[in-house]
Amino acid sequence: MDMETKKLSLSGSSGIVSKYSYIVVFLIIFAVYAATSSSLTWSGVMNIFRHSAIIGIIALGMGLICLTGEIDLSVGSMLAMVSGFSVVIYNITGSIFAAFLFAVAFGGFCGLINGILVGGAEMPAFIVTLATMLIFRSISQYVCQKLPKELIGGGSSIYKLFTQKSSFQAFYQIGNGKAATLPYVGLILALMTVLFVYLSTSTKYGKKVYAIGSNQKGAVMTGINVPVTKISVFVIAGMLVGLGAFLWIAMNASADPATTGTSYEMYAIAAVVLGGISMSGGKGRVLGILFGAMSYTIIDKIIVALKMDSLINDAIKGVILLAVIMIQLEGSKIKGRLKRRTNEV
Amino acid sequence: MKLLQMEHICKSFDGVPVLKDVSFSVEKGEVHALLGENGAGKSTLMNVLTGISPKDSGTVAFEGQVCDSMTIHKSEKMGIAFVHQELNLFNDLKVYENIFLAKEYTNKFGKLDKKRMRKEAGELFERLGVKIDPDAMAGDLKTSQKQLLEIAKALFFHAKLLILDEPTTSLNNEEVAHFFEIIRRLKKDGASFIFISHKMPEIFALSDRYTVFRNGEYVNSGKIAETTPEEVTKMMVGESYSAEDVYEPREAGDTVLEVKEFSGAGFRKVNLTVKRGQIIGLTGLQGAGSSEFMQGLFGAARGTEGELLVFGKSIPKNSIHKAMKSKVAMLASNRKENSVLADMSLLENMYLAEHTLSALKFHIHKKEEDRAFTSYRELLNIKMQDSSQPVTSLSGGNQQKVFLARWLNTKAEILLLDNPTQGIDVGAKTEIYKLILGLAREGKTILINTLEIPEIQKVADYCAVFYEGSIVKLLRHEEISETAVMLYATGSAR
Repeated sequence: MDMETKKLSLSGSSGIVSKYSYIVVFLIIFAVYAATSSSLTWSGVMNIFRHSAIIGIIALGMGLICLTGEIDLSVGSMLAMVSGFSVVIYNITGSIFAAFLFAVAFGGFCGLINGILVGGAEMPAFIVTLATMLIFRSISQYVCQKLPKELIGGGSSIYKLFTQKSSFQAFYQIGNGKAATLPYVGLILALMTVLFVYLSTSTKYGKKVYAIGSNQKGAVMTGINVPVTKISVFVIAGMLVGLGAFLWIAMNASADPATTGTSYEMYAIAAVVLGGISMSGGKGRVLGILFGAMSYTIIDKIIVALKMDSLINDAIKGVILLAVIMIQLEGSKIKGRLKRRTNEV
Repeated sequence: MKLLQMEHICKSFDGVPVLKDVSFSVEKGEVHALLGENGAGKSTLMNVLTGISPKDSGTVAFEGQVCDSMTIHKSEKMGIAFVHQELNLFNDLKVYENIFLAKEYTNKFGKLDKKRMRKEAGELFERLGVKIDPDAMAGDLKTSQKQLLEIAKALFFHAKLLILDEPTTSLNNEEVAHFFEIIRRLKKDGASFIFISHKMPEIFALSDRYTVFRNGEYVNSGKIAETTPEEVTKMMVGESYSAEDVYEPREAGDTVLEVKEFSGAGFRKVNLTVKRGQIIGLTGLQGAGSSEFMQGLFGAARGTEGELLVFGKSIPKNSIHKAMKSKVAMLASNRKENSVLADMSLLENMYLAEHTLSALKFHIHKKEEDRAFTSYRELLNIKMQDSSQPVTSLSGGNQQKVFLARWLNTKAEILLLDNPTQGIDVGAKTEIYKLILGLAREGKTILINTLEIPEIQKVADYCAVFYEGSIVKLLRHEEISETAVMLYATGSAR
C-alpha cells in the first residue's frame, strides 16, 4: 500500500510538466515572438487568434480521430472541395445560412465516407484517407473547370463569392469582423475548443473515444460499438472541416481548389501532436490542440517579423515539432539514463 | 558447489524497496520453485539475475564466478535463459528462423545456411521428444508448442539455468504432463530450472526445493518433500491464510437462463438451464469449447444456431450490447488484453460499460459515479488510494475487482466469469471466491469458466464438463473432483 502511494506521488510531480508541455512550448514560442516583433500590440495578438481559427478547428476534429488511434489525411483536400462547393451554393442561393448548412453537411458527408471505410470496413485509415485526399482535391479542381463561369463568380480556375449579392458584406464581415476587438472567427475557435474539451472530458461519448484508442479489444468487450463510434468521429471531424470551409470563404471571399488547404492535414496533425495527444490513441488533452495550433501561427508571425524568407517556414515548424516530440518521448528515458549514471558514480 | 548463489540482494525503485536483503541459491540439476504472491519480488529478482534491471547491492555468483554488473547479453552468454510468461516469438517467422534469430548460420558469402539450421532444429526437437515441424510458421503453433519452442530455443544455445515464469498457464493438463516429462529429462541431463508458478499441485509434482518470498523479503527455503502445500501457502500469505471451505449450499430460484441447442465457433449443441442464484462451473480441456461457449453467450464469439432465453425472453446472438441490455455481463479472460484500458483511471475503467447502456444521458455526473465507485470499493474491498489513479497501478487481484465492479455497475443479473483468477495470487484468489459466493447469495447468477478444478470445487453448485464442444456431464457439487472431471473431460466416460 505504502509503496503504491509513493510511486504515484513521484510520477505525479514529474508528470505535471509533461502533462502541460503544450503550454510551456506555447509560452516559449510566444516569448520569442514578443522579443522579435518590434511592437507587441493587442491587435497583433488578436491576429494570431484569427489566423489560428481554421487550422485550430480542423485540428480539433483531427484530435478526436487521433484519440481513437486513427488518422485523417484528407482534411486539407476536403477543405478545398467543401469551401469551393459552398461558394457555388452561395452564388446560387445568395444565402449565408444555406452556405453554412451546406458546408457543415457536406463536410460531414465526406467524413462519413472516410468513417465507413475505416470504422465499418476496417480498412487502414492512412490508406483510406490518402485516397480520399487525392479524390477530394481532384474533384474540386475538375468541377471548377467544368462549371459555368457565373456559378464560380466569374473567375477561371478559382471559386469566387458573388460580391454583388446583397448579403455579401454581412458574409465577409463574419470572416473579418470583430466584436470589441475580438475577431469573430477567433471567438468561434474558442467556442469550439470549449465544446470539445467538454465533449472529451465530461461526456460518455468522449470517454468511449479514449477507451477505443487505449485498448480497442477491451473497448469491444466493454460493450462499446467500435465501428459506429469511429464513424461518428470521422463525421464530426468532417463537419468541423465544413465549419472551417465556411470560415475560409467568409475570410477570403474565394477558394482556390489548387492551393486551399494544402498541407493542412500535416499542420493539423502537428498541432494535435504538439498539444500532447498520442498518435497511437487514448492519451492526451483536447485543450492542448488550441495551444498547438496557435504555436504554429506564431511561428509564421516570427518569420515575418524577422523578415526571413517565408520558404524557410516549414523547415522551422518541422524542427520545432521534432524537438517537442523528442522531449515528450525521450525525456523520461534521458532522465532515467542520467539517474543511473549518477547512481553508478 | 552451487550453480547460482545470490546473496544480500537489495533493489528499490524510486526509493521504494522491492527486494530487501534477499538470498537465493540453485543447485546443479534441480528444479527450484520460487514462490510468493504477486508483488513479492520474484520477477524483480529474476530481472536482476538476467540483467534486465541492475541491482542496488548484493552479490551474484554463477558457477562460482562473481559477476558485478550483469547485462542481458552477459547472462545469456553465461547460460542463463529467461523463458517469459508472454511468449517472445515472431509469429510471422518459421520455427527454425525463430530459434536461430540473430544467431543464424551462414556460408562465407553471408548467405543463410537454411539446410543446416532446419536439420539441427529437427534434431533438437527429436531429442526433446517434441513434435514440431521446423518449417511451420510460429504463428500456426498451439500455445503449448510455442512454450516448448521457447524452451528449445534456450536449450539450443546451451542454457544451464532456465527460468520458467508460469510456463503452464496456457497449457491443458495433458500438455502439462508432457511438458513436465521433458523438464525431468533435461534435469537428468544436468540442466537446472527456476520454476515460478501459482499452482500448488504442479509445484509439488515437479520441484525439488523451494524458496518463499513475501513483500520483498526472504521467508524460507527447503526441500519440497519435507513440506505440504498448506504450509507453503501459509508462508506465502503470512498469517492471514486459512484453507477453510467457503462453500455452503443455497436455495436456487426460478430459471433465468436457458440455452437450447446453441452452436457456434468452437462449441456445438450446448443445452443448459440455470436457476437464479446458482453458480455453474464450466470446464474441460483447453479447446473443449467452454470458453468459446461463454463468449458466445455474451455475443463476443460467433453463435450460429440455437436459442438463448434470458428471463424467459429470447435474446439475439452476436451482439454484446443486446446481451448487456438483457442483464448479462462477462468478465473476460486475459485481463490485460480484454479488460484493462491502460490509459484510463480506475473510475473510468469502472463506469464505461454502464455508460454504453445509458449513452443518451450524455453528461457524466462525476460525483454520482464516484459515489457508486466508493460503494463497490467497500463491497469488493478494493485496495487503492484514489479513483483517479491509473488502473495499471493496482495489483492483478485488485484490477480484477475493479472489472467486477464494472459489471456489477451495469446491474447485470447473470455474470459470466471467464478464468477470473488468472494471474492472481493465492490470498486474493480466496477473496474472489468469497465474493462470488456472496454475490450468488444476493441472487446473482454466475457462470464461471476455468481449467482449475479445485476452483470449481470451491464455489460451484454444478460443474458442466465440456468435451469436443458440448457439455457431456453435469456434476453436482458433491460429485466434483479432479478425477471425475477428468474422466468426462478426456472423453473416457460419457
